[in-house]
Amino acid sequence: MQHAVQIEGLTKEFTRRDGTRIRAIDDAAITIDPGEFIVLLGPSGCGKTTLLRTIAGLENPDSGRISIDGRDVFASHNRTLVPPEQRDLSMMFQSYALWPHMTVRNNVRYPLETRRRPRIARKEMDRRALEALETVGIGELSGQYPGQLSGGQQQRTALARALVNGSPVILFDEPLSNVDAQVREQLRAELLATQRRLGFTAIFVTHDQNEAMELATRIAVLDQGKVQQVGTPAEIYRNPATAYVATFIGTTNEISGTWDPSQSGFSTDAGPIRSSSLTPETASARILWRPEDGKLESSRPSGPNTFEVTVTKTLFLGLHTEYVVRWGKASARIWSSEHHRFCPGDQAWLSVSPEDVMVFPGDGAQPTEAEAAEDTPPQSSAVLSEAAG
Amino acid sequence: MTATQTPPPTRPPRGPVPKPRLSRMPRKPSSFDTLTLVLAFTLIAIVCLPLLQVVIGMVWKDGEFTFEAIERTLALPDLWTLIWNTLVLVIASSVCAVVIGFLLAWVNQRTDARWGLLNDILPYLPFLLPPVAGAVGWIMLLSPTSGLLNVWIRDALSLFGVDLATGPFDIHTWYGLILVYTVYAVPYTYLNISAALESFDSSLEEASRLSGAGYLRTLRRVTLPALAPSVGAGFLLSTWFGFGMFSIAAIIGTPAQIDVIAVRIVNLLTFSYPPDEDLAIGLSAIVMVFVGLSYYIQFRILRSARFGSISGKSTQHNIIRLGPWRPVVRGLVLIYVLGSTVLPMIGLFLVALNGYWTPNIDWGGLSLDAFRSTLIHDPSAREALFNSLGLGIVGGFIGILAASFVSLYVQRRRTALGAGIDAAIKMPASISNMVIAVGILLLLGGDPFNLGGTWLILLIGYLALYLPQASIASDAAVAVVGKDLGEASTVSGARDWKTFLRIYAPLMLPGLIGAWALLFIRIVGDLTASAILSGTENVVLGFRILEVFNGGSYAELAALSSTLVLITGTVLLFVIILSKRFGVAKTQSAPRTRKARR
Repeated sequence: MQHAVQIEGLTKEFTRRDGTRIRAIDDAAITIDPGEFIVLLGPSGCGKTTLLRTIAGLENPDSGRISIDGRDVFASHNRTLVPPEQRDLSMMFQSYALWPHMTVRNNVRYPLETRRRPRIARKEMDRRALEALETVGIGELSGQYPGQLSGGQQQRTALARALVNGSPVILFDEPLSNVDAQVREQLRAELLATQRRLGFTAIFVTHDQNEAMELATRIAVLDQGKVQQVGTPAEIYRNPATAYVATFIGTTNEISGTWDPSQSGFSTDAGPIRSSSLTPETASARILWRPEDGKLESSRPSGPNTFEVTVTKTLFLGLHTEYVVRWGKASARIWSSEHHRFCPGDQAWLSVSPEDVMVFPGDGAQPTEAEAAEDTPPQSSAVLSEAAG
Repeated sequence: MTATQTPPPTRPPRGPVPKPRLSRMPRKPSSFDTLTLVLAFTLIAIVCLPLLQVVIGMVWKDGEFTFEAIERTLALPDLWTLIWNTLVLVIASSVCAVVIGFLLAWVNQRTDARWGLLNDILPYLPFLLPPVAGAVGWIMLLSPTSGLLNVWIRDALSLFGVDLATGPFDIHTWYGLILVYTVYAVPYTYLNISAALESFDSSLEEASRLSGAGYLRTLRRVTLPALAPSVGAGFLLSTWFGFGMFSIAAIIGTPAQIDVIAVRIVNLLTFSYPPDEDLAIGLSAIVMVFVGLSYYIQFRILRSARFGSISGKSTQHNIIRLGPWRPVVRGLVLIYVLGSTVLPMIGLFLVALNGYWTPNIDWGGLSLDAFRSTLIHDPSAREALFNSLGLGIVGGFIGILAASFVSLYVQRRRTALGAGIDAAIKMPASISNMVIAVGILLLLGGDPFNLGGTWLILLIGYLALYLPQASIASDAAVAVVGKDLGEASTVSGARDWKTFLRIYAPLMLPGLIGAWALLFIRIVGDLTASAILSGTENVVLGFRILEVFNGGSYAELAALSSTLVLITGTVLLFVIILSKRFGVAKTQSAPRTRKARR
């Protein structure tokens, strides 16, 4: 099968005003198959928009290779550079970038007019433009100007324009960030349905992890220009490749520890902790686990990773109650669906299954082979969306 | 899972930073880009080569290395008087301009006496009333014996038993000169301070108020320090304007025997025979030093204020209710605006219509005779008028077209090359106009080009001088369109030319027409380049006014100046109408832009 988009060893540097050089994209590699919905996720400034713009051809990388549909559009080894207008892509901009001097129909028709392959008759163009507008549910607005539309309608117009010439790959640069929450929910669902129905490959940039979880078939988490991990939402959540991914997606409890072969576990401020993860190569480790994986009980359970704790705070959050517990120098947050079971000041027993304990190299060591527990079964996405919320 | 692990960077993060490469992956330039680059380098050449000529001229003459120009300049007997006069004039008027500009901006941004019209009129003052016409207008008003305003004041005073033979004011004095300089410098300070006040994040002030500071304390401790960079910028722009200003000093300062450098340079080149280029070069160098110094100071101020607290986000400000003082403050603002624009125009028109300059206006006998005799019966005035109009139309068109290509390039290709072109094109704004005009004369006026006194040298001069304005205006027109709209077209498969014709051109058109009109006004009302580059053979309007001032009738002077004001006023009116209509069109699409930028 031909890959829809393939990126290898892509690097782009910017020079700041003060002369320091920033790697906006640092040796990135992703392979995207046709029909996938890939979300590039990361905090602002992580390089996700730059990566998207290099795919579009709006920015030029320094080195590496990008191919679309099997054709190299950028390759530093043989100095290939295909200009954006010849890449056969569509893109939806954060600002929508609707041309204010053209009607909705003319906006949508424009990509058809620029096609050089088989020329299409004007009537046919109008028909297709209208069809695209109807696909997104605003066929009746074709005579309006963008300035006369609401935010949601502008957004749909921009989507129609991206869909109209049937590009196999459509790029989305945070297109949902400018509409209010309710419209956003609805548009998100519609976008997903449209993508599934038409089958184009979507590459979608966002900083919103809920949005990423809901839309993506796979998520690529970026940090400081590096692709930290590519995987399904469940893999990313349950099986993070690096401590960064683990802490960026969802909530975690963290404690640092050192490997103690005599206990075949880690000694920490909280006491000995065992993990079924592979042991890290460095002696010091960052030990992480998710609040929903801790269990609070009033009597001592059997098994490892059992601690006697004091409840210091409880917080009712609807779906679950957050218990903040403290023991020794350590503290943790526990999410439990058992509301009002403990009150601040109560003594309780905390246990975390070794399967749920993630271990990463600590103290600034490079995350070399930080493989998290490979044998941990991915959890259902129902748990995920709750946890991510 | 295709997680990408990267080995630790081999290069130490704090190592020596390699020089940024200009172009990483040379993209084959399209025909559009090629044309743009050719245009850009031509424009840069007509600014940079003349400057280079001045610099070289300082140490190189007749094929040998010499300090003659510098030595002769330093030996000039009244050199220090010239420098002293120029500095006093420029600094005093800039200080006054900052005070007035701050007060006007503050009233307009922060009190309920604000007045939208102020924003519309004040920035356009130099366009509405070109300095050369304004200077003549002020003479008509404030000349000690027959100045109209003086006579009216004397008449009013005599009602109270105070009889004066002359005065009370005299325009041909230090204060008169500073007054007119100030009036023309206020737009620079006002615009800078007003913009800063508008974009000032008022939560900083609110935080200060909540910390227990009163209004005045907040103004002193929070608002003013935060505004310091823009006050400084306004001040330095105004000094830059002052160093290069020729027409006001020539028309008001010369009769008062207040000599400044700019006037001396023109006299050496235009009104002496043979022209003394050495001294002109030496004096130009002094102007360059002062202008360079003021930019260095501005750079320091801006850099020290890098932490500056202007958020750029326009926020709702607390408006001070002036209560009973509101009409008073409004009245004062109105008096300032009318006094600085309408009054000198009235002076010009009355003298022109009256036919001769007398305090006793014959209201029934006003006629267009002076206009008729000046414009129709005087062939040199007529020729000057046609020359100026032609140069304004053609020069404006060429300037705006070229500038808009360059602006587009700079915005679309954010490369080091683009940034360099942008800086080079805006450079004349940071060097005195005067010096560039001198350089153009030296470079093209004599052998081998021999363009002295031709249309072409004037056209080149105007383009070089007013390029920054054209460039800033076309930048604004490009910025209105924004980057996304062009990129959306490119991603849709359109080539550069198609994107230009279908997206940028229609959207930029209203802005470019406005920019053309402003450039036209600049060229028609110019005296700096005209005085140096226009010969007696090929006279333009500004130069003709100067000639008439040096030896003609006041009615003719007033008629010519009024004609200039009528032309610039008409074109300006057209610009304002256009921008209002364009403004309406813009608000239709504004929700999109505003939302998008949030």
